Amino acid sequence: MMKKNITLAHGAGGRDTSELIETIFKKHFDNPDLTADDAAVLSFGGKKLAFTTDGFIVSPFEFKGGNIGKLSVCGTVNDLSCMGARPLYLACSFVIEEGFPLEKLEEITAAMEKTAAEAGVRIVAGDTKVAGKGQVDHIFITTTGIGEVLEGVSPSGASAKPGDAVIVTGDVGRHGCAILLARDEYGMEADVTSDCAPLWGTVKSVLDVAKDVHVFRDATRGGVGTVLYEIASQSKVGIRLDSQAIPVDPGVAGVCGMLGLEPLYLACEGRLVIFAPRAHAEEIVKVLREGKYSRNAAVIGEVTAEAPGRVTVRTEIGAETLLPPPGGELLPRIF
Amino acid sequence: MCVGLSAKVVKVGDGTAIIDANGARREVSARLLDELEPGDYVMVHAGAAIAKITQDENEETADVMKELCE
Amino acid sequence: MNAEVELAKKIVESYDGPKIRIMEVCGTHTHEIFRYGIRRILPKSVQLISGPGCPVCVTPTGYIDEAVMLALDKGAVICTFGDLVRVPGTEKSLADARAEGARVKIVYAPSDAVDYAAQHRDEQVVFLSVGFETTTPASCLAVRQAKENGVENFSLLTANKTMDNAYRLLKGSTDAFLFPGHVSAITGTKIYDKLKDEGICGTVTGFTSGEILTALAVNIKKVQACAPFFVNCYPRVVHEDGSPAARKLMAETMTPCDAEWRGLGRIAGSGLKLNDENADFDARLKFALPALVGRSNPVCRCGDVLRGVCRPDECKAFGKACVPEHPVGACMVSSEGACSAWYKYGGDL
Repeated sequence: MMKKNITLAHGAGGRDTSELIETIFKKHFDNPDLTADDAAVLSFGGKKLAFTTDGFIVSPFEFKGGNIGKLSVCGTVNDLSCMGARPLYLACSFVIEEGFPLEKLEEITAAMEKTAAEAGVRIVAGDTKVAGKGQVDHIFITTTGIGEVLEGVSPSGASAKPGDAVIVTGDVGRHGCAILLARDEYGMEADVTSDCAPLWGTVKSVLDVAKDVHVFRDATRGGVGTVLYEIASQSKVGIRLDSQAIPVDPGVAGVCGMLGLEPLYLACEGRLVIFAPRAHAEEIVKVLREGKYSRNAAVIGEVTAEAPGRVTVRTEIGAETLLPPPGGELLPRIF
Repeated sequence: MCVGLSAKVVKVGDGTAIIDANGARREVSARLLDELEPGDYVMVHAGAAIAKITQDENEETADVMKELCE
Repeated sequence: MNAEVELAKKIVESYDGPKIRIMEVCGTHTHEIFRYGIRRILPKSVQLISGPGCPVCVTPTGYIDEAVMLALDKGAVICTFGDLVRVPGTEKSLADARAEGARVKIVYAPSDAVDYAAQHRDEQVVFLSVGFETTTPASCLAVRQAKENGVENFSLLTANKTMDNAYRLLKGSTDAFLFPGHVSAITGTKIYDKLKDEGICGTVTGFTSGEILTALAVNIKKVQACAPFFVNCYPRVVHEDGSPAARKLMAETMTPCDAEWRGLGRIAGSGLKLNDENADFDARLKFALPALVGRSNPVCRCGDVLRGVCRPDECKAFGKACVPEHPVGACMVSSEGACSAWYKYGGDL
C-alpha cells in the first residue's frame, strides 16, 4: 500500500525504500543492466566494469571517526569493492548551503583525498552547486565510482547457498550509534567511534584466500540486519544467527539498551557481511582479523535451505526466534 | 511499559546522578531514591533512577528457585 | 544459563497438566518473551495471553487527536516518546502532522522537554505524558523542574494511568499474572497481597530471560497447587515498599481521575491528572482544548487484543491492512504492543 508522499521511512533503506524502488524507479528504469546489487556490472571492451553512485546527507556532517567527505568516498568505494571490483575513479558533486564555512569545506575535501588515496582511487571529475540558505542542510555530496572487476570473481546478492557461513567483518552498529551521539538529542555520552572505512583492501585480502566467496555486501543504513534480509530474499535462502556470536562494542550496547534499539539495525559504514562456503570460513576470519578494519570479524551464523527469506536467531536460552524484519524510521523506544 | 536499564552510578549531584551502562553515560534524576552513592547499581527508566539493585541476577534466580522447590 | 534457570526452563518445557492461562500485563514482557524465544519452548497447555500493559496501546484515539490539534492548530512544539509518533489518530498521526509542518520532537525523558522549553522561551512546549506508575514519576519530576525554574511555556497533555483496577477487571480472563516489574518497583508489593486475597494471583517478574523463565516456573507450579499465591520473583529491583519518594511525588503533583482505556472502557479512578496546584502545567486547560472523542478504524480489534480475548493474528486486518509501516491501530505501532510483537517475531510459527 503506497503512501501519497515521500516520508522519512522511504529513505531508511528498509521495506519502504524497496517498495519505492520497485514501484517507481524500477518501473521506469526497466533495462537488463539495472542492478539490485551494490553496483552494476557492465561489459565494456572485453572487461567487466562495476559502476555505482551514492548520495550523502548525514547530519551532523562531522562526527567521531570522520566527516561527510570521508563517508562519501568510503560509501562508493565499498559498493564497488563488494562486486569484487578494484575501485579506480570517482566523480563527486557538491551541493552546498549558502554561508557554509570554507574552512569546513577544506576539511571535508582533505578527508576525501586522504581516504581516496588510502583506497587507491582518483577523484577525477566534479561539480559544485550552491543553494540558498535553508535550502540544503549544510552540505550534501554525491559520489559516482567506477572499478574493474577482478578476473574470475562474481559475488552477487543472489549467490548465497545453504551451508554457507555468514561472516561479519567487525562489531555492528558503530556508525549509526556515533551519529546518534553526535546529534546530542538524548543527553548521552559514550566513547563510540564511527566504523567508517574504505574496504577494498579487506575485500582483496579475502579474495586472495577464497576466490569463490558468494556474497560481499557492505552494511550501511539499515545495518547488518537489513543486509541479511536482503540476501535471504535475493538468494531465496534462510539465515540462522547465533546471538552470542554477534560482536557488539560495549558502548553501542549501552546506548542501545538505554534507547531500546537493536544494534543489528544501526547503520554501519565500514562493515562487510560475507557469505562464503563453510569450508573457507576459518581461513577468511583469520585473514580478516589481521586486517586494520576487521580485527573482531566473526562467523555469526549460517545459511539454510528451510524457510527462504527468513532470518532467525538462536537466543541465549537456546531457543530460536525470528529476527524482526527491517521497517520504517528508527524511533527509539522508551516504553 | 518498562524498558529499564541497569546502570552503575558514577557521580552523585544535587538530585541528579551520572549513570554508566556499559560505557554509555547520561545524567538522570536521583530524586526518587534516597542516598545514592557512586558504585551503587540502579534501574533507570525515562531519565530517572527508579530503584536500587540490591542483588546479583544469578543470586536472585537461585533464591527464587530454591524457595519454589522447598 | 545457570543451573537454576536450566531447572526453570525444564519445568516450563515439560509441563503436561491441565491448561494454564498466564497473562503478561507488561508490553515489555510480551516483547522480551518473543525476543528470547521463550514462546517457542512453551508446551501447548501453557497459554500466554497479552494484557493491557502497553500504555500507548490503551490510550484512546482521541488523545492523538488532541496532540495533533495542539501541534497544527495551536502551534505547540510536541515533545514525546518515540512510540507515540506513528499511532493513528481519527484522521492523522503525529508523523502525518509532522509532514504537514507540525513540530514533533522525540525525547528520551520528560525532563529533556523541559530543558528544550527553557532554551526556547518563545515556543509553547507540550510533553505527551503517557504511562503507568513507572513513567509517571518522571513526568511529575518534569513539572517540578519547570515550576522551580519558572519555565511557564511547558505543559503536559496527560493520559497517565494506574494498573490496580485493571487487574480486577481482568480477573476472569486468566489463572495468573506476570505482574509488571518496574511498575512494582515504584508501587511496592503490598497491593499484590491485597489482590491475592481477592483471588488474583501472580508473580512480580523481571526482564532477563532467566527472570522470566523462573517466574513462569513459579506460576506453573503454584497454579497447579491450586491455592492463591503471590511471589516476588524480581526482588533485586522490586522491594516491598517500592519507592515512597516516587509515590509522594505523584501524590503531590497529580490526582486520580477516571480514565478511558482502549478495549476496557472507562475504569473508575484509574487515571491521573495534574492537581489544582499544578493546573498551570495542564495543556488541556492552557489551550482550552475541546473534549475530543476519537474514532478508531472500525476494522481495528486493538480493544479485544488488549483484553486478551483476541490474538493479534485473529484480527482480520493483522498483517494485511495493518502492519507496522501503516498501522491501523496502536497495538501494531507501539513498540510495546502485542500486535507489533506478534508481527515482528512471526507469531507462533
